[in-house]
Amino acid sequence: MLGFLKKVTDYAKDAIGAGNYLAQGLSVTFDHLRRRPVTIQYPYEKLIPSERYRGRIHYEFDKCIACEVCVRVCPINLPVVDWVMNKATKKKELRNYSIDFGVCIFCGNCVEYCPTNCLSMTEEYELASFDRHSLNFDNVALGRLPTSVTTDPSVQPLRELSYLPKGVMDPHDLPKNQKRAGELPTEILELMQQNPPKKFSEKSAKGNNKIEKNA
Amino acid sequence: MVTSSVTTSQVLITQGIDIELSFNQAMEGIGISPDFSHLLWLPLPMLLVLIAAVIGVLVTVWLERKISAAAQQRIGPEYAGALGILQPMADGLKLLVKEDVIPKRADGLLFTLGPVLVLVPVILSWLIIPFGQNLLISNVGIGIFLWIALSSIQPIGLLMSGYASNNKYSLLGGLRAAAQSISYEIPLALAVLAIVMMSNSLSTIDIVEQQNSAGLLSWNVWRQPIGFLIFWICALAECERLPFDLPEAEEELVAGYQTEYAGMKFALFYLGSYINLVLSSLLVSILYLGGWGFPIPVEWLANWLGQSIDAPLIQIINGSIGIVMTILKTYLLVFLAILLRWTTPRVRIDQLLDLGWKFLLPIALANLLITASLKLVFPFAFGG
Repeated sequence: MLGFLKKVTDYAKDAIGAGNYLAQGLSVTFDHLRRRPVTIQYPYEKLIPSERYRGRIHYEFDKCIACEVCVRVCPINLPVVDWVMNKATKKKELRNYSIDFGVCIFCGNCVEYCPTNCLSMTEEYELASFDRHSLNFDNVALGRLPTSVTTDPSVQPLRELSYLPKGVMDPHDLPKNQKRAGELPTEILELMQQNPPKKFSEKSAKGNNKIEKNA
Repeated sequence: MVTSSVTTSQVLITQGIDIELSFNQAMEGIGISPDFSHLLWLPLPMLLVLIAAVIGVLVTVWLERKISAAAQQRIGPEYAGALGILQPMADGLKLLVKEDVIPKRADGLLFTLGPVLVLVPVILSWLIIPFGQNLLISNVGIGIFLWIALSSIQPIGLLMSGYASNNKYSLLGGLRAAAQSISYEIPLALAVLAIVMMSNSLSTIDIVEQQNSAGLLSWNVWRQPIGFLIFWICALAECERLPFDLPEAEEELVAGYQTEYAGMKFALFYLGSYINLVLSSLLVSILYLGGWGFPIPVEWLANWLGQSIDAPLIQIINGSIGIVMTILKTYLLVFLAILLRWTTPRVRIDQLLDLGWKFLLPIALANLLITASLKLVFPFAFGG
């Protein structure tokens, strides 16, 4: 009899506990109703891509020496370098250069290895087109610069989460000239040059000593 | 509004507005025979309720999209009309002009009949929904029982469309829908039975009347708290709403019995499920939350203001308050259902059947027993 009663009370406790959890969950969802939407209203608002954003590749025809390093480091040998050997000058003469962005995976290897820095990555990501062949950019198309989100008058530029001031979560209605959280690399470098960290200077001093001993 | 029995129509004359009577008198004034004017009258309330049901669905769909968006910190439909209120219309219009595909190996007749069999009983159930003292199509004596009977036709339609689709996901969805409906109908009926026992009537009008003697305090939800919870859980299960949306669980069954449906046939399912949700919320507000009753009885307010309850203006205000209160209570419940959708995870099929048979059924039986004994002990409070 007691065992049965215990079972019944345990069962009732479980049911009440389940109801309690349900109420907790409901309070969470109810609380979310009064929060501001976190979504970016895309064609009207756009996030500012970060400085290291790997978008569509930009190419400067005049800097290129047709070395084909970009082709060799590309996972699928995508860039097409069309050059001929000028026998008179014994130099490569570049005719055309193209990358098909319908196939490119935007890994950035070509940009990394380009010896003359004629390749770079832009912040452009809106590459939708009606025909996939129109994504095959030649050297003229590759040389165009994208419109920056910040200068486009029809777009409200919004900062990404990591570019917001400390403690701010919402990029909307942010006062101008608010500094992002943390220091910029240039600022860190300046700080280090003004008062060099102790450990760093000691280590370098030891290293110098070693070199002297070896000498 | 179509009253057949003499006693009720006599009551109606003394109490509240009777639009049918005024309509018939106006028709006789033009010189139309009473029989013909009755015939003219008949389709009017039906059409009105059908329009009300469809508008109710459009509002519910819009609310679902907006509240879901808010719960997920999105904006939701925004550009179709102000605040996106025309979005459900656009959805419906799209489905209307879409190609109506019947799979090659499917059974064409049953495939077409399925969605009809799902939708028609749900719409038919609006017959017994009162929005006020005389504002319902028909005060059927078996009222609430008619709804229980009609709602058990639905699983046949679901199973039919699932089987006729000739698709394993559809079949599984249809079978799950049938299993779910059958297991949750019993506790649902037992919860309703406790209410019926208290109000001594199956008629929805009598059930609401019985609750409105002292306003908010006399609502059934205080006397039947367990029954209220059981009914709400079962109603959600009958509507296949989360957390009980197993028949169309998209992660497991694509879309359950709706997998092969497109165009208008899919729209019928869609419409059916939302009409069912609104209907269930309406029934909860009728059975447990005092139906058209204002939290403070309008008679008391009228007395307090020194007005006669039979004065025409008071009658009109009373009627409007009734409609507004019914809709308000219903949409509060719809809101709760939508909020629950984003709060609760889906139950497994074994958990679903466990909950139905091992938890709700015994509790509903105990609730019925307790109600019966309370009725014997306190006949004044439990409708002796």
